Amino acid sequence: MKIKAQMTMVLNLDKCLGCHTCSIPCKNVWTSRQGAEYMWFNNVESKPGIGYPKNWEDQGIYRGGWTAKNNRLFLAAGGRVTKLSRIFNNPDLPQIDAYYEPWDYDYGGLVTSPVKKHQPAIRPRSQITGQSMEIQWGPNWEDDLAGVCETGTADTNFAGLDAQKYLEFEQAFMMYLPRLCEHCLSPACAASCPSGALYKRDEDGIVLVDQARCRGWRYCVSGCPYKKVYFNWKTGTSEKCIFCYPRTESGMTTMCSASCVGRIRYVGVILYDAERISQAASAADPKDIYPALVDIMLDPHDPDVLKQAEKQGISEAFLKAAQNSPTDKLMRKWPLALPLHPEYRTLPMVWYVPPLSPLQTGTENKKADETLSDMRIPVKYLANLLAAGDEAPVRRSLKYLMALRAYMRSLRLEKTPDKSILGQAGLDEKLDEPAVLEIYDLLAIAKHKDRFVIPTAPNPDQADMRAAQGEKGFE
Amino acid sequence: MSGFVHILGFIVFPYIALTIFVLGHAWRYVTDWKRWNAASSQFLHKDSLKGGITIFHWGSLLTLVGHAGGMLIPQRIYDLFGISEAAHNFMAHWVGLVAGLLMIAGGGWLLVRRIGQDRIAANTSVHDYVLLALLLVVSGLGLYNVVFTHYDVLYSVAPWIRSIVVLAPNPALMAPVPVSYKLHILSAFVLLAYSPFTRLVHIWSAPVTYLYRSYVIFRKLPGTKGA
Repeated sequence: MKIKAQMTMVLNLDKCLGCHTCSIPCKNVWTSRQGAEYMWFNNVESKPGIGYPKNWEDQGIYRGGWTAKNNRLFLAAGGRVTKLSRIFNNPDLPQIDAYYEPWDYDYGGLVTSPVKKHQPAIRPRSQITGQSMEIQWGPNWEDDLAGVCETGTADTNFAGLDAQKYLEFEQAFMMYLPRLCEHCLSPACAASCPSGALYKRDEDGIVLVDQARCRGWRYCVSGCPYKKVYFNWKTGTSEKCIFCYPRTESGMTTMCSASCVGRIRYVGVILYDAERISQAASAADPKDIYPALVDIMLDPHDPDVLKQAEKQGISEAFLKAAQNSPTDKLMRKWPLALPLHPEYRTLPMVWYVPPLSPLQTGTENKKADETLSDMRIPVKYLANLLAAGDEAPVRRSLKYLMALRAYMRSLRLEKTPDKSILGQAGLDEKLDEPAVLEIYDLLAIAKHKDRFVIPTAPNPDQADMRAAQGEKGFE
Repeated sequence: MSGFVHILGFIVFPYIALTIFVLGHAWRYVTDWKRWNAASSQFLHKDSLKGGITIFHWGSLLTLVGHAGGMLIPQRIYDLFGISEAAHNFMAHWVGLVAGLLMIAGGGWLLVRRIGQDRIAANTSVHDYVLLALLLVVSGLGLYNVVFTHYDVLYSVAPWIRSIVVLAPNPALMAPVPVSYKLHILSAFVLLAYSPFTRLVHIWSAPVTYLYRSYVIFRKLPGTKGA
């Protein structure tokens, strides 16, 4: 057993209101530079839709992630020799237009315009060429289903569903999907990098691009199935979400999660067995990847695990954080959160609690499973998004949420806790009351201290950090 | 060419160029590590790049290998392996022809693209234009020599290059060489001296370690110990 700690995030989509507040501080702090204008380390997409960059989920186009054969992993875009032989021209690279051509406005024109009969207008101006341009796509182009009646049929999550039917006005559904780097356990971006510039931090599993080693071969961009590594067209190197490591190292949470007004984000540490990564990622049936991934996560309260972890040098701060980790609870203990597209086989570490949605008819006297099938968002759609098409884990999560709501309603409004709800939730296992109250606290009350349990980084030389102020920084 | 100019051209200048080449790369690597990359423009305009970049790079690789094999390795070594001077020249002619044509065609393609595509032009520095032009001049002269002058370089230019490399320059070897060859050589040394200040530095970062390194790299925080 090789124990490693991993920084993880869980997003409760049931509460996401699609306000983009997460994206803005991230943008302001990390990507407000020339060459990075088009990068959104965090963006919020409306689903259904083809997203940003266009069709990022369609691996038939970009060939990101891994494939498995005989329990072995292969990069979907080809191995080492294939990559080097095509290094001059990466055939799978998206062009900037798949994201959008960055633009600005000639604001000065408003001030310097002479007096005219009509008010002066400002037109979008390309930040690459400086010429006027037509805006054709953006990081949230399909916001609240804008234009999805046309683009939606290309959404790969409609597999096994009649997309056209759900794009009609009467049947339309929508949800928000905030996306950031998944900081995968088996990162295909890092494996795709010919220079070895992308690496995983040993202490917390954050995946970074070493700017001093990046030579701009661009394979990380196409290799990441989530399209969360971006090519800086000005400097010629790749950049990506850094999980705000300068903040997490000192115990603060990321910009996106700190600013989330819906309080949907949870950040914490999990422990996992690094020896079984490839075994989990290479399961023959993509539907088996999610259970295998849960299986390699380790219980931070297990004395055996603790003893091993300590022996292997995992710091006390990390072990303690893992024991109180909200993400460990939501990912492993109570199986509420699910990984985004586990079928890409990168073992992503940013997970999502699937959203409940309005019911189309009354729920009286219906079994939980029938109620779920009545929800506006088809369970199959969520399953394609979060469980490689397997409805069972999505149904389980949603049943948990429904039972939680019903029970808390009986407790808070009717003042007579109806314990029969917990027995009739339609779940294989029986829900117990203390757990339900704890989940309620975490999901509904969601206090800051419960959402973010972040250990500080090991102090390299135990030096006086205050005395070292101003000595280190960028460049 | 008078004796003084000849010595200037075939002893002094090559060593100045090589000095700039070595020190320039060191200086660039230390001071400008952020820009030590291929400066790819594929992301801005993809379709127009593919054909040109591919033939240009394979042409360049062929050129490098051809020059290294033909110039740095003496003919007497080839003789040991039964490759006669005539066979060597025959091979050099045809490989040189292919490599030259690929480089000219590819380089021309890239230059036209760089000027013609708005986005690429807006993101092009003077260095990029000068470099491409210089590459076209050097390879153009090389191709001219292959096609129009059939001068035997194996016992003239090749030993002179080796004399430069081993720091025992012998400019007399270059005396009978035709002007077009001299121009090719001098412009190539200009290119060598200029390369540290251009995107050509990415050649030195050719990622051969990718063939054998482990796919996913873990790194510890500097200064920490542990598992």
